[in-house]
Amino acid sequence: MPDRPDSGERTGRYLYAIGRGIGGEGLAGTPGLRERPLRVVEHLGLVAVVSDVDLDEFGEDGLRRNLEDLHWLEDVARTHDSVVRAATAVGPTAPLRLATVCFDDDQVRARVDQWHDPLVRALDRVDGRVEFSVKAYASEPESAGQATPAATGPGAGAAYLQRRKEETLRRERVGQDAARDAEELYAVLAESAVAGRRLQPQDPRLTGHQGTMVLNAAYLVDAGEPFADTAAQALSRWPELRVEVNGPWPPYSFATLEEQ
Amino acid sequence: MPQDVALVDLLDRLLGTGVVLAGDVVVSLAGVDLVRIRLQALLMTVRGPEEEL
Repeated sequence: MPDRPDSGERTGRYLYAIGRGIGGEGLAGTPGLRERPLRVVEHLGLVAVVSDVDLDEFGEDGLRRNLEDLHWLEDVARTHDSVVRAATAVGPTAPLRLATVCFDDDQVRARVDQWHDPLVRALDRVDGRVEFSVKAYASEPESAGQATPAATGPGAGAAYLQRRKEETLRRERVGQDAARDAEELYAVLAESAVAGRRLQPQDPRLTGHQGTMVLNAAYLVDAGEPFADTAAQALSRWPELRVEVNGPWPPYSFATLEEQ
Repeated sequence: MPQDVALVDLLDRLLGTGVVLAGDVVVSLAGVDLVRIRLQALLMTVRGPEEEL
């Protein structure tokens, strides 16, 4: 890591997104992190959207400390998202991951150099398209009778164990049904989309939702397509699933670059 | 819409996908670490810091 003089504030460049045809004027109404103005760094026909950040806060040590602070994380994530949404409104945009920081504009250009070809492919893929999220939850299987042992009588313990075993098998069957339903739902909705991806199901401790998430999917859809309506109509085929459709999102899940 | 978006959905996208960060200041924050940090940070608020993952 290069030495930097300690005099004055150490600043870096926070990268929000790289796109095409994004002029600074289109972003004028959107503040960057800590209310700093957004700037664009143009290179090789692509445009990186950046703002200055204090390296005490966004340098390696600062990030390590701050990423553990949920309020900090939420604040940065929401600002990042609002900048990405503003950029998406102006031109095709590949969002960067949270907390991608360079020392200066030269390093920003070096990143654009390094990622150029996959970036162009990603931008071609998402141009004129938006992302929708579809999450499906299996209903909690209701218990078939109370599995408490009768207090007395010969064979009560064995009967209890038998009921427990049947209950476990029944729950497994319900889980398998839900997984199959989710698979079918994912495939049917993919027919109305340009592309689909399955993300890791979210932990119920994070979402606060009842029931097991059996599908956490993202779809890439042509802008203006009535995907939410189409999905709502398709959902009647799976009354056992509780489904949430959200969007449009910027195409976060479809602008991924593999690590170089 | 942005304020209505659930934080967990946003982090799914901002941490799990998108352009990988490949260097400079945050070189040591690989994807796995970020996911772990995310879960710990979120669980801390949901359940309190005494429970570990």
